[in-house]
Amino acid sequence: MNRPSRVASRWLLLISLVVTPAVADETLHYPAAPDNGPATSLVVHGALDLPQMQPLLEGFHRQHPDVTVRYRNLTTLALHERFLAAPDEADVLLSSAMPWQYRLANEGHARALASPAAQRWPAWARWRHELFAITFEPIVMVVNRAVIERFGEVRGHADLLALLERHAGALQGRVVTYDPATSGAGYTYAIEESRLSPRYWDLVAALGKAETALADTTAEMLDGLIEGRYLVGYNLLGSYAQERLANQPQLRIVVPEDYALVTQRLALIPRQAPHPQAAERFLDYLISETGQTVLARETPLGAIHPALDGPGTATALRQARGEALRPIAVGPGLLATLDDLKREALLTRWQREFARGE
Amino acid sequence: MKRGDSLYRRLLGWLLLPLLVLGSLILIQAWVDAQRTADRAFDRLLEAASLAIAEQVQWQDDRLWLDLPPAALEMLATDAQERVFYSLVDRQGRLITGNALLPGDPRQGAEGEDTLLYRHIDWQGLSLRQGVRRTRVEDWRVREPFEVRVAHSREGRDALAARLWRANLAMILAMAALATVGLLLAIRAALTPLTRLRRAIRARDPRTLAPLELSLPRELAELRDTVNELLARMRRVRANQERFIGDASHQLRTPLAGLSARAELALRQDDPMRWKEALIAMQATSARTARLAVQLLSLTRLANPEYRPDRVPVELNALACQAVRDHWASCHRQGVDLGVENAGDEVWIHGIDWLLAEAIGNLIDNASRYGGRCVTVKVEHCPPRLIVEDDGPGIPEPRRMLMLRPFHRDRDDLAGSGLGLAIVDGIARTHGARLQLSTGHDGRGLRVVLQFPGDTS
Repeated sequence: MNRPSRVASRWLLLISLVVTPAVADETLHYPAAPDNGPATSLVVHGALDLPQMQPLLEGFHRQHPDVTVRYRNLTTLALHERFLAAPDEADVLLSSAMPWQYRLANEGHARALASPAAQRWPAWARWRHELFAITFEPIVMVVNRAVIERFGEVRGHADLLALLERHAGALQGRVVTYDPATSGAGYTYAIEESRLSPRYWDLVAALGKAETALADTTAEMLDGLIEGRYLVGYNLLGSYAQERLANQPQLRIVVPEDYALVTQRLALIPRQAPHPQAAERFLDYLISETGQTVLARETPLGAIHPALDGPGTATALRQARGEALRPIAVGPGLLATLDDLKREALLTRWQREFARGE
Repeated sequence: MKRGDSLYRRLLGWLLLPLLVLGSLILIQAWVDAQRTADRAFDRLLEAASLAIAEQVQWQDDRLWLDLPPAALEMLATDAQERVFYSLVDRQGRLITGNALLPGDPRQGAEGEDTLLYRHIDWQGLSLRQGVRRTRVEDWRVREPFEVRVAHSREGRDALAARLWRANLAMILAMAALATVGLLLAIRAALTPLTRLRRAIRARDPRTLAPLELSLPRELAELRDTVNELLARMRRVRANQERFIGDASHQLRTPLAGLSARAELALRQDDPMRWKEALIAMQATSARTARLAVQLLSLTRLANPEYRPDRVPVELNALACQAVRDHWASCHRQGVDLGVENAGDEVWIHGIDWLLAEAIGNLIDNASRYGGRCVTVKVEHCPPRLIVEDDGPGIPEPRRMLMLRPFHRDRDDLAGSGLGLAIVDGIARTHGARLQLSTGHDGRGLRVVLQFPGDTS
């Protein structure tokens, strides 16, 4: 393995620790209906939990009963390493580690999908016709109602900064966010936010001043918030928060009004996919109106399809937040995220700013 | 005539062929140009991106340090969403950072000199355009050379090149179409005078021999002038023929009128002796008229350029002797001394014996008729010549050529037809022989020489 790949592995480890709940080896299996002609297979590797994947796969299997579908849920690291070790094993790769998926496609590991649905897919949510963003998940804050009642509404980053600067004492140790040094997702958000505004560094300093706890995964942060250890959570994955906090009325999910990062899960068909036709059918389904409707109604992931409207769709979120949404661009800028020295430089700065506030 | 064998097609073919070759060359040139232009435009991106990266390279903690600007990578990808690769390499060729270990600049540049190299590479099955910037970190104490290598795939370039080429293609095709139309019109216009000439010739009254009067370009004017010369010759020929016919009918009418008058006179008499005298006179006149008709016939035949009788070997001595024998009796009656002088050897030529006999006969007849008292027929060898000489009054030099024209007589003489020398001239021309008229050997009389072409076999 060459040097970038080694670096990549280290990185994936970090990403996987955060984005995907730690699951060992979960699979789903849908055998082909016996009376539907010659059966074909489809192997999907994804970093997406079974409860969210299940409705999608069931919907696909209803449409294509002649396909035997196997889904394997992996961590983003395992998914990536498994692909590099055996590029001809999976038919579709589905992962939230955007830089890594982009890097695979950039190096020519992905196969182009030329279906009409792929042609119509919005340009901002795909790269060439090889990499398709299929979900739309805002990065949110979670605020305990006690904080709102005591200190007023928190609507965006400016409010959070003001809150932290004014009431650092009251919130001492009660704020939680990603540790960019150990979490790939946290690092990705940090790099994007630092590009958006230099005031991000003030926020980091304020977070440091409040002795903010640093976590590795959204799940970890949600646990702390539900238990009441933390009052404010910053930069949580919206889709997970929405699902976990459905029955937690004391916690409010805030999609920031000034700007909200949006992360997307990227799907690609490997060039050496063993069943390319089935893979194309599945990817086509994922970006079809049917598949996206399932995504919007039965999962918290957020559908992108421009024809869809209503709760759980990008359209609805855009109507609510408009210009404030900042989807992470699927482009070569993601490669900078993976740069070793870049990471070192950013983390040094981050830690310096964080320590400045303490 | 073959279908393809037309002046129009030939011109069109020869003009379109170079046009086609030229057009192909222009198309190839346009393609090369389009690619070069696209490369130049997109190489700017490589230049800017490598510069943006190089500017961020620092010397920190005893090593090269780079805070990679994401914009540098983003500018490498245009609307065509190119694949993007970059690497930072130190002086030993070790990868400091990057997403691909791209090949470096193989040239050995002078140390510390900033260079930028663009080239095409094939990297892991991808066709890439690469920019390699070789420069160095300038610190207070450290001068550390390094290379920034950036590359992207060719989709954007190819799309731009194709677009430029298509634009050029449309223009070139339009030009080709215009050129072809222009060519068609030009050829048509250039060939119009030919059509006019054809129409002018076709529209002529077939009986007229008037010259063609129409203005034409130089090349066709030559053709028109040539045709006009031919027409002029034909006009002269026809004038000659008309005069000949007029003269001939006049010549025939005179004796016929004489016959008629004589018969009328005789019928008024009752004396059978007078009738007999009249009949004798009429017989002589009709014999002369018949001879005239024969002469006219042979002259007409000789004047016909299509008349090409077969020539056979003829021996001139024998021919001359025979002619003298044939005419001796009549000459003797008129008191003319007719003689023959043979050449020593046999003289053979290719000719028509009866025509030559006619010629000799005519010359003897002429000589005796116009006052010759002594007529000699000579045959000479080397060159073969047939000579008839008399001791008559002769013909003055300036009028000799006139004597060759039909019906031209030196003096008013009713007995002669004025055809004799003209017929001899025709016979000479038929044999390719030269006819010479000169003064006799002692300054008197007429000497007529028929000199045959040099073969004596």
